[in-house]
Amino acid sequence: FIRTIVCSSPPIGDLRIKYPSSHVLAASSPNPPPPTSGGAASGLTVPPGFGMPPVIPSSGEASGQEQEDDSRLPNPGTFDECHRKCKEVFPMQMEGVRLFVNKGLSNHFQVNHTLLLSTTGDSTYRFGATYVGTKQMGPAEFFPVMVGDIDNSGSLNAQIIHQIANGVRSKLAFQTQQQKFVNWQCDAEFKGEDYTATVTIGNPDVLVGSGIVVTHYLQSITPALALGGELVYHSRPGEEGTVMSLAGRYTGSNYIATLTLGSAGAHASYYHKANEQLQVGVELEASTRMQDTSVSFGYQLDVPKANLLFKGSVDSNWVVGATLEKKLLPLPLSLVLCTFLNHQKNKFQCGFGVTIG
Amino acid sequence: MGSVLALSSSPGHQNWPFSPDPPPSHWDRRDGRLPNPGSFHSLHRSCKDVFPQQIEGVKMILNKTLSSFFKVSHTLHLSAVSPSYYRFHVEHLQSDDYSKDKDAPALIGEMDSSGSLNAHALLHLNERVRARTVFQTQQSQFVTWQFETEYRGNDFTAAVTVANPDVPRESVILVAHFLQSVSSGLVLGGELVYHRGRAEEGGILTLAGQYSRPNWVATLNAGKGGAHASYYHRANKQIQVGVEFEASTRTQETTTSFGYQMELPEANMVFRGMINSRCIIGGVLEKRLTPLPATLIMGAFVNHRGDKLQVGLGINVG
Repeated sequence: FIRTIVCSSPPIGDLRIKYPSSHVLAASSPNPPPPTSGGAASGLTVPPGFGMPPVIPSSGEASGQEQEDDSRLPNPGTFDECHRKCKEVFPMQMEGVRLFVNKGLSNHFQVNHTLLLSTTGDSTYRFGATYVGTKQMGPAEFFPVMVGDIDNSGSLNAQIIHQIANGVRSKLAFQTQQQKFVNWQCDAEFKGEDYTATVTIGNPDVLVGSGIVVTHYLQSITPALALGGELVYHSRPGEEGTVMSLAGRYTGSNYIATLTLGSAGAHASYYHKANEQLQVGVELEASTRMQDTSVSFGYQLDVPKANLLFKGSVDSNWVVGATLEKKLLPLPLSLVLCTFLNHQKNKFQCGFGVTIG
Repeated sequence: MGSVLALSSSPGHQNWPFSPDPPPSHWDRRDGRLPNPGSFHSLHRSCKDVFPQQIEGVKMILNKTLSSFFKVSHTLHLSAVSPSYYRFHVEHLQSDDYSKDKDAPALIGEMDSSGSLNAHALLHLNERVRARTVFQTQQSQFVTWQFETEYRGNDFTAAVTVANPDVPRESVILVAHFLQSVSSGLVLGGELVYHRGRAEEGGILTLAGQYSRPNWVATLNAGKGGAHASYYHRANKQIQVGVEFEASTRTQETTTSFGYQMELPEANMVFRGMINSRCIIGGVLEKRLTPLPATLIMGAFVNHRGDKLQVGLGINVG
């Protein structure tokens, strides 16, 4: 989504607010938001859009009736989440010292503080709050969800997600850089029985006459295969254009292969779950605008007995990185160690963080 | 000036609580006689050991003891600010009697991946006389070459060091140390540095005094080159505190540092913290990861004035 916007012509403004995943705050800050454990207070859980999508496309309707009724196909999930399963295997780059304190104030309200001391940039303090409403849509989904956080320099990220009707979910997102608005977008998602359609209006500016409209469509063809496409239309006084790309995803018993093709480039990813502990992901990205390709290989090793999570990655840009996350029971503390080494540029980065709560 | 440049990875140089005490040497107080005051270099050591060592990047140290005489260690340092290096360190002890003592006779060599060599030879020529030779190179160029002889009397220590003698350039640095035990807790002494180059020569005299009690040690060095005062206090079994004051007439600067060390042997953990008058705050945490023979070191140093942060991770195996 992002790449298609950026490559088509002079940047309008990167719409980097994606549909939130396992990160409660998904913003384009240089220090990506910390992954939450998914709700601190008991009963406070985040809707499926926040959590990791299951290996088999989530089905609200197709349950045990699949064997009887072949025409019932599962819902394929959203377009943005196609490559997510593979991306989550890769370690997240981090530098400096980070302290993250998460406090659940009630079943509906959660607050977090982040203090980041950075070796390269500025140190920041960030305050974030999450509110989950009372309208229950599923076993662990509550709406509306309001997520916001503000920086010590005044940069704000805010998102409101609400289920308007059965199968229709909408989201409003705002992002500011100090006091200037950088992103403001609104989107609506229609989840049918075996398809998902999303319409997003990004940075609409009536006065200037510019805006971006993005349409996604994803359809389950067979229980394992999902095909879809994305159409981006952007307009500014003086120029306008569209970018289109197609996507396909094939889900096997323990693997997912995804391909996105468009005039902006190609993105292919393969995710494989070897066993309970080991997950592997391979990713290929090719961009026609930057005229380069990169291949990444990542793996995730989960050792729940030792409360350990290890992620490693190797890149075709000669970047090797690893993240180690360890829960220090019985304290509600989690320690994260991260190092990245860029052999080509001979640059090295290391950081560690502590998550409390 | 003229003192021995410390080895980068000298083992056991900090107050690690789990190492056994050094075996009592016959220099200890006996029959009411005054003890030997030790060497001049170790006057401020107990205070300096409390302070955390600046750590940066990722360091992995593998120690291997090949026999009771021979130890080898490999160090791999990946750093963001300085070039990364691999270092090979080898130690050969003359005898395995006092293997834990810092001044045990040994041959120590260290070689860098850039070719820099660091070699120390400490010899006990006889019961009272010790000799030390140090060679240091920066890639292929010799930076330090010094020879020291130390005589340990019953209640005094005298040492003479010849550093960087260069006959073609007619330059040399001569250092003479003398320490005398005046009473059971008081040690007085001095250091005379004579340096001579082609164009200039000069001498600097520094007086030193140290007063020690069972729980604390106060040391003072004062001279024309500056002053260095340190106070070390052991509050209880777990907490040690050090305060240090340094003033230099050459750079016209003074620095005051406060450091503390907290040991939690039940948690296999040692934490050292420090705060400085240069607005530097640092902390280093060392944790022994039993049952593995490994130690994890995490540290961060913040310079508030320059708004710089340095983060380091290390793992010592073996």
